Amino acid sequence: MDTQEQELEDIELFQKHVSDRFTELSSPPEDDALLSVSWLHSLLDVFLCCEAEFEAILIMDRDPSQLSKPPFDRLIPEFIERAVKALDICNAVANGVDSVRHCQKLSEIVISALDQNPLGDGHAKRAKKALLMLLSAMNLDDKEGTHVKATERSWSFGRRGVNKEQIAGHFRSLSWQVAKNWSSAKQIQSMIYNLVAPRGAEASGLPSPIYTMNVIMIFVMWALVAAIPCQERNGLPTHFPVPKQLNWAHSLIGLQEKIADEWKKKEKKGMSGLLDELQKMEKLAQSLIDFTDSFHFPGDAEKVKEAAANVSELKEIFGRMDQGLTPLQMHIREVFHRIVRSRTEFLDVLEKGSAPVL
Amino acid sequence: MDECQSAIPAHDGDLHVVAAAHHIVKALGTTKNLSDDLRKILIDLDAHLSLITSNIDSKGGKGFVEVEERLKRVERKIVIWESDRIMIWDSGPKEASDYLEAVDEVQTLIDSLRGLSMNENQKQKELLHRASSLLQMAMSRLEEELIHMLVKHKQQSEPTYIPSPSSQRNVVYNESVVSLDNESAKEASSKNSCSDECGEYIVDLVPEHVIPDIKSIAKVMFASDYSQEFCEAFIGARKEALEQHFDILENGKLSIEDVLKMEWCSLSTEMNKWTWSMKIIFGVYLMSEKRLCDQVLGEFGSVNSFCFLEIAKTTILCLLNFGEAIAMGPQEPEKLLRLLDMYETLADLVIDIDALFSEDGGSFVRLEFHKLLEGLADSIKAAFNVFGVAVSSNGSLYPFPGGGVHPLSKYVMNYISMFPEYCSTLNLLLEDQHSDVASLVSEPQCGPTASLSTSCPMACHLRSITSSLESNLHKKSKLYKDEALQHIFLMNNLHYMVQKVKGSELRPFFGDEWIRKHNAKFQQHEMNYERVTWSSVVLLLKDDNPGSSSLSKSAFKEKCKGFSVAFEEVYKNQTSWCIPDPQLREDLRISTSLKVVHAYRTFLGRNPAHVDDKCIKHTVEDVEKLLLDLFEGSPRSLRNSRRMMKT
Repeated sequence: MDTQEQELEDIELFQKHVSDRFTELSSPPEDDALLSVSWLHSLLDVFLCCEAEFEAILIMDRDPSQLSKPPFDRLIPEFIERAVKALDICNAVANGVDSVRHCQKLSEIVISALDQNPLGDGHAKRAKKALLMLLSAMNLDDKEGTHVKATERSWSFGRRGVNKEQIAGHFRSLSWQVAKNWSSAKQIQSMIYNLVAPRGAEASGLPSPIYTMNVIMIFVMWALVAAIPCQERNGLPTHFPVPKQLNWAHSLIGLQEKIADEWKKKEKKGMSGLLDELQKMEKLAQSLIDFTDSFHFPGDAEKVKEAAANVSELKEIFGRMDQGLTPLQMHIREVFHRIVRSRTEFLDVLEKGSAPVL
Repeated sequence: MDECQSAIPAHDGDLHVVAAAHHIVKALGTTKNLSDDLRKILIDLDAHLSLITSNIDSKGGKGFVEVEERLKRVERKIVIWESDRIMIWDSGPKEASDYLEAVDEVQTLIDSLRGLSMNENQKQKELLHRASSLLQMAMSRLEEELIHMLVKHKQQSEPTYIPSPSSQRNVVYNESVVSLDNESAKEASSKNSCSDECGEYIVDLVPEHVIPDIKSIAKVMFASDYSQEFCEAFIGARKEALEQHFDILENGKLSIEDVLKMEWCSLSTEMNKWTWSMKIIFGVYLMSEKRLCDQVLGEFGSVNSFCFLEIAKTTILCLLNFGEAIAMGPQEPEKLLRLLDMYETLADLVIDIDALFSEDGGSFVRLEFHKLLEGLADSIKAAFNVFGVAVSSNGSLYPFPGGGVHPLSKYVMNYISMFPEYCSTLNLLLEDQHSDVASLVSEPQCGPTASLSTSCPMACHLRSITSSLESNLHKKSKLYKDEALQHIFLMNNLHYMVQKVKGSELRPFFGDEWIRKHNAKFQQHEMNYERVTWSSVVLLLKDDNPGSSSLSKSAFKEKCKGFSVAFEEVYKNQTSWCIPDPQLREDLRISTSLKVVHAYRTFLGRNPAHVDDKCIKHTVEDVEKLLLDLFEGSPRSLRNSRRMMKT
């Protein structure tokens, strides 16, 4: 089998693998709901696997000068540019995970407060304070300089006046800024820009896996931004220009549409991340805050029971976050470093392949 | 629990014993065959036990009353502050310690009330409830006090010794610097003057006297299981403080994309700022913050390192990000000095980083900064290579006018003269490439002049760079059509190189052997120039017939004319040539003068008969004077000179 045929086979195999992996992601087991912490782990794994295969096809045993000729002299630099944008998104998201960890910490207080028998007014007050902070942390507009949009019920803190701003300041400094005026939404937008599926002869050659990898990279970054609150997500694009007839893309497109639907629904209500655990936590926090608001010792037995059930669910979510969030940050860092390496590899190839400079 | 006195005298155990005894008595009382005596004893015992029980109850009742009293008292102490606008810790140490005592008391009461089994005692439940509500109120208050304390005292502790970033020398080295003389080039050195003095400084981020107060609040909150609230407040306040310090250092928040696209001038500034910020943040602020955390949270185990990490994270990730962006970037030679600064700073700090983040939770910090250090090392090696390649491949289309010192020579020599400052780092980094380079540098340093400094990796690499420069200069010299100019050009440039080496930190690394060799080289070119230019001219004045007394008039005329023409030709051409170095210019003039003037004088002297002839265009003095015009760099024609001489 000559190299041309081998190459076509490799490309086909690569795209089959891509299709399989995304199909798996589309039907996750019970515990790994779409956009949950463990699903995100799986997503990142898929990225790393695809990227490794992609690099192997493009670079291994290949004469570098081949990649310096058209259309690769345009396609490869474009890919590298997108990769750099992806790096900034990785950083933004990894730091967004910190704000989720903050929510986790606050939920821990709620759990400590309410996991008491018998439940007293003091416990309820304690929980309520933490719940208010939790809800405002989750609904914090990730724009710079916006102040707390919290449901400001009897904010018991405001006595000495000085503390509201301090707490708000607390939140502000929690959000890491990639750069002034940087926007994750715009970043994704610019990654999508100029993304054109190869046509004709190119569709069956090397340009095809390059396009595939571009799409995968954009999708992964997009999903991360949708799930994890990070800088300036307003205006996140919800549509990808991926032609439906591409075989390998079906599952990916399906996933993308599902997530995009969720996004559109939530966008109107104010933006916590679509992270499954975060969504569930928000619901629980809402009902618990209603409970603590209306609680007077010894409290309505039914309501207390309901609250206890909520708390126990909250405990479960806390557990999943506790297990999975820090590893998620590490995983994102792994992806970050892989993209850096990959970029260096491609730059090397371009350099070797181009005519020597006099 | 050890210190707490049980508020209720009766014990669980006592009640059980009494109850059990009562039960036995009752059971025995139902047996049929009881003697009268036994029955009497049982009745007595029954009455006795009942008395004990009621006693206990009433005592218990009395016990609860006592508890309630204590609770009421402590309630007053705590609630009274709720309506007050004043902060407890601002009011005075007595108020503070009273309050803490009160909170302690509440916790004690709670522990005691909990210590009892939960029978159906309504009073007990009620008291417990009141106490835990009171506790929550107190904890909330303590949280406020803590935040207030941290915010108030944070503002007062601006360390004054830290010089402002703008005072740091920040000259950008680029091609424009080639016009600087040695002195200003030295000033342009990017090395931070503070680098040696600025080790670790531990400052009081919070005044000493406040620490015990914070600690006392910590102790109470941790004891009451409100440690999470304490940590939240503490982390929030300290994080904000650290980030304010960081903001003052004016590190532009830059995305990786921004950094990769940035033009050199701004990038150089940012790299400088980074180097400085790293020293300040790690060397001063984080060391001090760690100490503060140790002081406040030292006794609470892993919470200490957790809080420290949370406080520091955002800031250090920002610094890490910039460093990584730099390490990723295109490795251009002009970045070398700044890269070396960054590398050296990080290499110094890495030990501190390892110490600050020694626990598990901080392992990723250590890893990432170690990775960054490696990345910077790779960047430096790559940039160095690119530098070498750039030097050899720097092409010219046209010959450099005037044959003076080429800008490339200036750039290279000025640039590399700053490297010795980074000698130890460069030696470390260039070590593995040493063997390849050493063989390329065909000037084995052996004998008494060879030393560690001339044979170290950096020295070898620098000599290989100057070697490349020489080869390139040779190529450039070929662009001149005039062979004499080729030699002037090479003489000028080689001389410049030698002067630079002699007059800078490069000297020990190039060694005397190299200097001698290169002196010889440019002197060779000097001689070649003279030969090419003047030999033929002087030849014209040669005595064809030694021994014969003098030439015929026509022969003399011919020779004179020939000499004039040749001389004027040289004059016309070579006045526009340049020998920038005054000493060299002087040397060449003297040596030329010796040859030419001497020959001319001899020639004229041999033919005294024709001395007054009009065909002698120039006197010996004329020739001498005219020679002074050579190599001034401004083209002249003889007419000009004549006019000038006449006036």
